[in-house]
This record gives sequence, C-alpha cells and structure tokens, in this order.
Amino acid sequence: MEYLLPTLRKKQEVDAIIRDTIDKVLVLRFGRSSDAVCLQLDDILYKSARDVSKFATVALVDIDSDEIQIYLKYFDITLIPSVVFFFNAHHMKMDSGSADHTKWVGKFQRKQDFVDVVEAIYRGAMKGKLIVSCPLPPERIPKFELLYKDV
Amino acid sequence: MATLNDSFLADLDELSDNEANLVENNEEDEDMEEDVDGDLADIEALNYDDLDSVSKLQNTQRYTDIMQKVEDALEKGSETSDKGIVLEDDPEYQLIVDCNALSVDIENEIVIVHNFIRDKYRLKFPELESLVHHPIDYARVVKKIGNEMDLTLVDLEGLLPSAIIMVISVTASTTSGKPLPEDVLQKTLDACDRALALDSAKKKVLDFVESRMGYIAPNLSAIVGSAVAAKLMGTAGGLTALAKMPACNVQLLGAKKKNLAGFSTATSQFRVGYLEQTEIFQSSPPSLRMRACRLLAAKSTLAARVDSTRGDPTGKNGRSFRDEILKKIEKWQEPPPAKQPKPLPVPDSEPKKKRGGRRLRKMKERYAITDMRKLANRMQFGVPEESSLGIHIKSKKIYYKSLVH
Repeated sequence: MEYLLPTLRKKQEVDAIIRDTIDKVLVLRFGRSSDAVCLQLDDILYKSARDVSKFATVALVDIDSDEIQIYLKYFDITLIPSVVFFFNAHHMKMDSGSADHTKWVGKFQRKQDFVDVVEAIYRGAMKGKLIVSCPLPPERIPKFELLYKDV
Repeated sequence: MATLNDSFLADLDELSDNEANLVENNEEDEDMEEDVDGDLADIEALNYDDLDSVSKLQNTQRYTDIMQKVEDALEKGSETSDKGIVLEDDPEYQLIVDCNALSVDIENEIVIVHNFIRDKYRLKFPELESLVHHPIDYARVVKKIGNEMDLTLVDLEGLLPSAIIMVISVTASTTSGKPLPEDVLQKTLDACDRALALDSAKKKVLDFVESRMGYIAPNLSAIVGSAVAAKLMGTAGGLTALAKMPACNVQLLGAKKKNLAGFSTATSQFRVGYLEQTEIFQSSPPSLRMRACRLLAAKSTLAARVDSTRGDPTGKNGRSFRDEILKKIEKWQEPPPAKQPKPLPVPDSEPKKKRGGRRLRKMKERYAITDMRKLANRMQFGVPEESSLGIHIKSKKIYYKSLVH
C-alpha cells in the first residue's frame, strides 16, 4: 500500500506532516504492510482518502523503521493497526467504549464508518474539544484487550 | 388597339372585376395585339397566346452574345489567367459578372414561362401546379403527359419521386380538367421546350462560372467547393451581392420549397440550401448538421466578403476558414470529460438554509408554549415553587430572589 498513500519512515517526515497539516484532521495509521488486518484497513483508508480530502489527510507510518520507535513508545502502540488522529498538531482522543481513548485499534468495517469517525473528530475539533465520542454503534467497534504489565 | 384601351378604361370607371374582361380577351383567337403600353404589358402578356411576346430573353442580343462567349470560353478550356491584372479590368471577370446577371435573368424568365404554361394547362389539369412546384419539373411533366387523359399510359418514372407520381395519378383520375384544343396544346409544348432550353442554357452558364471560380473567388471556393460557390454566386446575383447578404440568407440560398402532399412536417428536412451539397456538410454526422450548416454559412459569407474586395487572391484565408470549420466539428464530436467523484464537503461549512415565512410560522405555532402553560410557569416573588418532583429540584428563581436582596 506504500505506493497509494504517503508512507512515512523517518521521524522528521512525521514531524513535518503533523506540523504542516493545518485545519484538517490528520489520520496516521501505524502498522505493517504485511499484516492482513493492516491491509484491510489500508484498503478502506485508500478508498476514502479522496472523499474526505477536503477536511482530512491520511498517511501511513511504517512501524518497522528505526526512527519511528520513539513514536510507538510515546503513543503506547502495541497492537496494530493503530490509527492516531491529530488536528492542528493537537492529539485528538475518541471515546469509543474501549479501554484506550488515545487511538483507534483495529480495522473499520465499512468505508462509511471511517468517514463518520473522521467527521466526528472534525466537528469536535472545530468546536474546540480535545475528546469526542464515537458515532459508531458498539457492534462495529473492534474489541481488544489491554494487558497491563507490571501494574 | 383602341378597343382594348377603351375596354380597360371602362373597367376602371366601373370598378368592376377585371377577370371577366381578361377571360374575354383570352378567348379571342389568334389576336396578335402588340403591346405598346408598358404598364399594361405585363398583365396582358400573361394572357397572350403567343409565347414570344411572353418570353423575350432568348431573342435579345445580350443573351446570344453572352451565350456565344461562354461557349467559346468553355471550348478554350481553363487558360492560365494573368494574376497581375486587376480583377475589374479583366475581360473574363466582366464576362463572369455578366453571366451572373444573365443567370438571374434566365431564372426570372423561367418563372414567366412557367406561369404561361401553368395558365394554359390549367384547363387540362388544374391540380398539377400545386403538386409539382419546381418549374422545370412541371415543364417536363406537362411535356410527358401532353393531352393524355388516362395517366396510367404515361410513364413519369425518373422525373419525379414515386410518391408524387402516385398522388398525380390519383388526382388525374378525378380531375375536373378537359383535353386541350390542338393549337393550345402546341403552344404549351413549345413553352415547355423553351423552359427546358433556358434551363440547359443556365446550366451551361453555371458550368462556365464554376470552372472560373477558383480565379474569381478563391476563398469561397476553398471552403464550399467551386460548384456550390458558382451556384451561390449565380443565385445571389454576383459576388458583391453575395457579400452583402447576411449569413442567415446565404444559408437559405437555393432551398427547395417543401412538397407536402399530405405528409407531416415533423419529419421534414431542415432549411438548408446549396450548402447542403458541400463536402463538409455531407461528411458531418446527421445530429450536428444544423450547427455545421450555420457555421458554414457564416464562414462562407466572410470568405465572400474577402473575395469581393480581392483581399486575398491566394485563397489562404479560405483554407484557414475551412480548417477552422473542420476543427470545430471535430471538437463537437468529442466525448465529454470523464466525471471525477467529488470529495465530500467539509462538515458544517455550508450553513443550513433557514426558511421563513407564514407557513413555517404556522408550523412552529403547533409546538410553541401555550398561554396556559406560560401562566402556569409564572412564579410569585419570594414564594418558592411547588415542583411536582418534590424538594429535590431547586428552582433557579429562588437564587434571583436572594440576589435582589
């Protein structure tokens, strides 16, 4: 999927894109292009990239690169694929009924789901909120378990 | 002569219908009355039995001169004309101009002869004139039918479209006409011959003009072709006359009058004249024909104007016009650009259109707070509200009371 959506491998690229996306939601997918679930998510991202292009930018981050490990630690990314949302360099959180609000883990079932999530983030961000609630019904939200280590 | 004059003057005095008198005149056999009165000549001419009094063109000196010159020129073939000579002085150009005028005259003459034939043949077959409009076709049909009463014995194949032939045969079986007397028939046939001769002379003149067209009007012939250019010039009556016409008229030059014969106009051909015969028109797809015709007429008018002032003797302008026309027709045939799916609009960027007006107000009234409810909500100053939810709900109004203090 690298050839379809912009793929970032270096820290400065990620920095640049977060800084430079102004007044648009930035969608960063952290994952591997060899993983099956990642590929499904990437497919949906690619198909909707044009439709949301007026208010969102989509980019892929390859977690196998060395420089990106810092981000993995910062965002606490252990399960892939993980999608992190930004707006004007602010990290946007979304309450989807799961344990982790800072990111979206797993794939979207439909293209419309993804568009709805991005729209909710955009509306919340325009209002000035830093956390929004997820518009999807719980059946369509992927479930995952967070195992706390040494806590 | 005196009697004729007197009878006409008497008519004017009485203000009676002229028809009776004119019919009377017609029935006077073999009266070769010379027409001295120029004004009355036309009216009388239509009723004359003698063809020569009606159609004089073929006997004029001018006609024979020009026809002779045309024939000589046609025999000589296309000679290389000196480009150096200014057009106006060139004797060939003068001949072309004369030819144009002559072709218009021949046209008028044909109309006069056609009227003559029609008047004579009315006794025999009155409906024919409404079925066959074109004068030359009419003359050919009259010649073929002659004095025949039974049309099944007459073979009109090739002269007319078969639908018209059918209509003619049907009409002939119920016609109110009677066979013509021998001498009238002879005169009518002579008139037909005269009409056909005039037509062939006109064709010869047009052929000659066509062969010289590349020299006279290079730009116009570059666009529409020399044959059509010759026809246009001939019908318009010269290059300057053609140049003065607006393009909409040029489009209709030479348009045939529709022969309905009971068919609906919904399927009829559009109004195109000689331009229909141009190569560009024929090669354009049927759906684009009207637009192509309008375009052709416009550009050919421009080219004619250039030619009439001799602005471009090489014909370069004409060729560039032609290229332009072909390119435009190509462009019309291009498929429209593929539709790209539009990206979704930014959320909340387009404010909701709030409607107003009487209808909306009436709708809102159904959900508005009624007066009863307003009165029920009203509170006394200093008196706490008795809420149905009990003591758990604190009304804000109590706070206001404390603020006032």
